[in-house]
Amino acid sequence: MGSSLNKPELIKDGKRLDGRAFDELRPLKIEAGVLKNADGSAYLEWGNNKVLAAVYGPREAMPKHMTDPTKGIVKCRYSMAPFSGIDDHGRSGPNRRSTEISKVAKEAFENVILLNDYPSGMIEIFMEILQSDGGTRAAGITAASVALANAGIHMKDMMYAVSAGRIDEHIVLDVNMIEDNYSDADMPMVIAPRNNDVLLLQMDGGLDKGQFDQAVKMVLEAGKKIHEVQKRALEDYYNMREGK
Amino acid sequence: MRSLIFPGEEAQSARHAPCTYCENGRVFSSAVGMLDTERGGVVPLEGPWVPRIGEQVVGTVTDSKNHVYTVDLSYYCRALIIGSRYDRESMEIGDVIEATIKNIEDGGVIILSYPKMLLGGVLVNIKPAKVPRVIGKEDTMVRQIESLTRTRMVVGRNGTAWIKGKPQDTELAICAISLIERKAHQQGLTEAVKVMLENESRNKKGE
Amino acid sequence: MEIIETVKGGYVRNMLKEGKRIGGRGMMDFREIKVKAGVIEHAEGSAQADVGDTRVLAGVKLMPEDPMPDTPDQGNIITNAELLQLAYEEYEPGPPNPESVEFARVVDRGIRAASCIDLASLVLEDKKVWSVFIDLYVLNYGGNLLDAGYLAAMAALMNAKVPKYENGVADHRQRDKSLKISNIVTSTTFGKIDGSILLDMDINEERIADTRLTVVMDGNVLRAMQKGLKGSLTIQEIGKMIDTSMEKHAQLKSILENAVKEAK
Repeated sequence: MGSSLNKPELIKDGKRLDGRAFDELRPLKIEAGVLKNADGSAYLEWGNNKVLAAVYGPREAMPKHMTDPTKGIVKCRYSMAPFSGIDDHGRSGPNRRSTEISKVAKEAFENVILLNDYPSGMIEIFMEILQSDGGTRAAGITAASVALANAGIHMKDMMYAVSAGRIDEHIVLDVNMIEDNYSDADMPMVIAPRNNDVLLLQMDGGLDKGQFDQAVKMVLEAGKKIHEVQKRALEDYYNMREGK
Repeated sequence: MRSLIFPGEEAQSARHAPCTYCENGRVFSSAVGMLDTERGGVVPLEGPWVPRIGEQVVGTVTDSKNHVYTVDLSYYCRALIIGSRYDRESMEIGDVIEATIKNIEDGGVIILSYPKMLLGGVLVNIKPAKVPRVIGKEDTMVRQIESLTRTRMVVGRNGTAWIKGKPQDTELAICAISLIERKAHQQGLTEAVKVMLENESRNKKGE
Repeated sequence: MEIIETVKGGYVRNMLKEGKRIGGRGMMDFREIKVKAGVIEHAEGSAQADVGDTRVLAGVKLMPEDPMPDTPDQGNIITNAELLQLAYEEYEPGPPNPESVEFARVVDRGIRAASCIDLASLVLEDKKVWSVFIDLYVLNYGGNLLDAGYLAAMAALMNAKVPKYENGVADHRQRDKSLKISNIVTSTTFGKIDGSILLDMDINEERIADTRLTVVMDGNVLRAMQKGLKGSLTIQEIGKMIDTSMEKHAQLKSILENAVKEAK
């Protein structure tokens, strides 16, 4: 949350800075199977976010002492390119923020991947944020889900992610960078669409119970659209590959 | 193409069918694929090989110690052949073999039996999900490619195929396999491969 | 489909003996080259270069910084490369390895040597200059990173816009003019396998190569060279590579110019 000083007018005439309604997603586009070497991959554009996700595996678990003879392990890397931000040049490599995001994302993926099918194996998931404009963890996880399906890794569900937030008294969906900097709450969620189970939840700011309920409702409603885009991406990939 | 099923979507199928899982008495798909209306379960469009006992595989011997041979199946788990002391011909590192999966031990270690040497030739990797189409119903596809390209082929379920023949014939067989890989889920694939191979051999003769 | 490497090594070698390459490519032919500029709007300049299956993304950022103590009247160029793990199953996590350091340094060298960017023009005021960060992101490895890296870096620089600078602060949302590019360098990387010389090695060729030579040209002028791997080259072989590099320069340069034009 940014300081309330210099806070721009985020909502004007019932619309947000970029002209969106409170419950409106930014434009979302996903393309599956974009990288040659990876076992599965996806490229995603969500608003101004640009994300590349890829999956390798199952392969031999590394380091060796991590091997579990009864089931596979998951490794996850979320990382931001140094040129991804508009104002600054970031140093690449893991920092505390990306380490935390990698951890919670990994735990969500562990929930859906059928790890018993891959004894002694390792599934590696990479999320590279090439351009960032708020909501990059949701963008990364949504893309990585498609990459996992594209790799044919057995999983219980193809999960999606999106965040809801609060600006003044309004609950808003899919917060962008400028909104995130000055918003009063931000809550990224990862959902398994088959039963709406929550696989990742983070919250920061302030919400009352009514606002929380409203935010969840907005996330689940938008999730139907996000999940549709994920499925379409895979469908397009296979249709094109088979020359139809 | 028939319509796709996605992970987490309910699959009208028996329990324990391939690429499905069961939750609260309901069966769901665990992969992107198509419902297999004949045998049940989901035919995946992509995905790693999951070894099963009795399957035929092709690999390269990478180590031998005290009559235990390690075989590289282009798979992340180790595969072993435990030879007996009475083995007449012993295999050497670098030999290419076909064998049958006898057992899968804890930790995924694959035990192979009945190894047969494959001499000469080249090995190619096929996407494991496409192997059934490259082999065809009762081996029809493999046999067709062999006879039209004058090669010998052994296709392992692990996705490794061995091809032996003259260089231009081998290349033709590789072309046929990549055609199948690309169009695996189209109908009339046998015919398409036949047409492609016949055209190619005619072009070669014309040169 | 991939032919398994141990066997493929033999397969590639045997074909080369007959003067042939996989896919019917000539010894001095590039694979298909595609360059797309302006792919990351947040960066001051960006480009993605595909050379066959190799894909490199370059991002250029300009930040106001202190000049280096020994060059107070010049801007800075900082080139870095990441061999992302998602690009190749053998790429490992951790600090930059020798391969990525060499990659970044060789790309940096040619761009500096040819004065592609006029460093004196990067001075903003006393003790404030633009630092030009060139970040190379390898997205897919398919052999010959260097030529793809040069194309991506050069196109990203040609695509770059300079942020507005006022009262000691850069406004990255207002980029009024293009970064001035004085020269365009291109690179051509050759390999030697069992005595055969070939341009633009793919992943299978690179695996069995004895020697590698990168030749960086700016018109008819040699700007940088880098030999890699443990094999050797004769003076005559190097001469031939330089001749070929000169021939290829015009072709590569026009690919860069078209990519930048299309992005506008």
